[in-house]
Amino acid sequence: MSATATRVERVLNLLALLLDTDRALTRSEIVSEIIGYPDSEIAARRAFERDKEMLRTMGVPIDVSVMADGVEAGYRVKPSDYYLPDLGLDADETAALHVAVNAVALGTAAGEGALMKLTGTAEALGASAGGVGNPPPIAALPMVPALAPLFDGVRRRAEVRFEYRGEQRTVQPWNVQSARGQWYVVGYDVARRGRRTFRADRITGDVIVGQPGSFTPPIEEAGRPVRLDAPWELGDGEVMRVTVAFDPSHDRGALDRLGDDAVVDHGADGRTLVTFDAVRGDAVRSFVLGFLDHAEVLAPAELRADVIAWLESVAAADAPASQRTRAKKPTTAGTTGAPT
Amino acid sequence: MTRPIAEQEIQRILALVPWIVAHPGTTKRDIAERFDVEPVALEADLDLMLMVGVPPYSPGDYIDVEVDDDDRVTLRMAESFRRPLRLAPREGLAILAAGRALLAVPGSDAKGPLATALAKLADALDLPDVAVTIAAPDFLAEVRTAVDDHEELEIEYWSAGRDALTTRNIEPLAAFYAAGAWYLDAMCLRAGDLRLFRIDRVRSVRPTGRHFEVTDDVEARDQVYHPRPGDATITLQLRERARWVAERYPCVSVEELGKAGLRAELTVSEPAFVERLLLRLGPDAVVIADSAGDSPSGFSAARAAERVLARYRATTA
Repeated sequence: MSATATRVERVLNLLALLLDTDRALTRSEIVSEIIGYPDSEIAARRAFERDKEMLRTMGVPIDVSVMADGVEAGYRVKPSDYYLPDLGLDADETAALHVAVNAVALGTAAGEGALMKLTGTAEALGASAGGVGNPPPIAALPMVPALAPLFDGVRRRAEVRFEYRGEQRTVQPWNVQSARGQWYVVGYDVARRGRRTFRADRITGDVIVGQPGSFTPPIEEAGRPVRLDAPWELGDGEVMRVTVAFDPSHDRGALDRLGDDAVVDHGADGRTLVTFDAVRGDAVRSFVLGFLDHAEVLAPAELRADVIAWLESVAAADAPASQRTRAKKPTTAGTTGAPT
Repeated sequence: MTRPIAEQEIQRILALVPWIVAHPGTTKRDIAERFDVEPVALEADLDLMLMVGVPPYSPGDYIDVEVDDDDRVTLRMAESFRRPLRLAPREGLAILAAGRALLAVPGSDAKGPLATALAKLADALDLPDVAVTIAAPDFLAEVRTAVDDHEELEIEYWSAGRDALTTRNIEPLAAFYAAGAWYLDAMCLRAGDLRLFRIDRVRSVRPTGRHFEVTDDVEARDQVYHPRPGDATITLQLRERARWVAERYPCVSVEELGKAGLRAELTVSEPAFVERLLLRLGPDAVVIADSAGDSPSGFSAARAAERVLARYRATTA
């Protein structure tokens, strides 16, 4: 028998024993009961730890308690913690879950694993019968490993610790969500004493999940989406009223970003005037410069002056003498590429 | 994420056992098909089950696998494994995320079977909700209908790379959401080649009434920007706060420079892309090299800045 088969057999027997027992068992009781553990105590202990770890990774809830002697650890798996309840899914619901897992590319097989447990098959039921392959996914939302422990922290209301941009963070995670194709965790940053949003793919290293039930998420956070489209709204400064003139050819893209709160008017020169509230001038500047010479900040005067000064410094810093001369000529679009 | 073989096999057996217990008399062939395993692997799994038991490990305490003459399988003494294992966090998250994402696709049935399945799941397993927001650009519905109907469209399209509005006829092949935006893979009849369009940059859509045939299998592309051989590259030295550039755009290479920030070589298909980027970054980015070499560069932040300044001066005057 192969080493893998031996290990599989041993781990399955370990799990059967832990599920079957009605009291916690010590490690020595377990390794003497189950065939397949090495004779040497040190080797048996190591093998047991590895098996236990494997079961944990698979999501088996191993209950650890202190035995009556007050020293040794006791292990068992409570059937009520282990068994997946019957969800009572009907045929349409089962099919819908299969379609969803197939249609959304998450970059992990965990969805198939869930389907296998929930519905007894990972294959889309219609797909294999009809002889045609699954259609390609219609949406890609790649996940990173950090998300699963973060989600676990949300579910169990446990503080999580992780490294973010080189700093150690302790966070009470309120929710995990996806917006603009990225995954985020929103929560209370304990050291910084405030609500923070973290991009999951910027978390480095392992996420440590602490004690369950250690906080209560604020009720108003339930279902509240992160708003990432308008960075100029973030921050603590004073609100200013900004007016930007867009060429009509480009106003659609601008209005998509600015949303329904923006006030739209038409300038005498045919341009579209859009007025909105902002806090961060640098974010407005970055947004407006993305439209190149198709957008112009008209108000407030300080922001307009800031954009002009910024542009003048770029014009002066970047250009070698030869190019600067060229730039002074009447400008053309300067871009005649191949058609796309 | 690939999981070790032993773990995969255990997971499979833990899913197989309760299912066979609940469906006694299913043939080996049907089981293998349902669980997408090779027949030999299923044989090995069944053999292994015979070795699993509980104390006192007398002959009657092991899982009993019975196979009749027609290859129908029945399991007994599998009481410990009568129900599947609860979902691991990554599994619960993945299935909720997939379901929520599909529901967030414009046009989904918000009260249909997927919604009720997710509600049952969250309820029975006490899972928190996972909100997924997916953009809904103006012409998404029209474009997706044309994909389904194989209908040629005339579109007005704003090409960001060239900063120009163009009209063209296309054969829409597949629409998909990736990296936060909806894309349309289409045959562009003007270019005579496949092109990838961002649906939020489509400014108008007119169905032509002409239908085309799909000859090859069309698969959604796995990445949204494909550098083409000969694409220009530009190397930028970025300050730390401009790191988002390296995270957001396809890079040929990224070099960490510690306190000095980082150096990124980006592929660029169109000059306007670089101009826009350099204007936004200002002093946070310095051009180290561009592959255009000695020839006059296709992009210059200074020239772009002058062009924008010209607009401002015109208004002041």
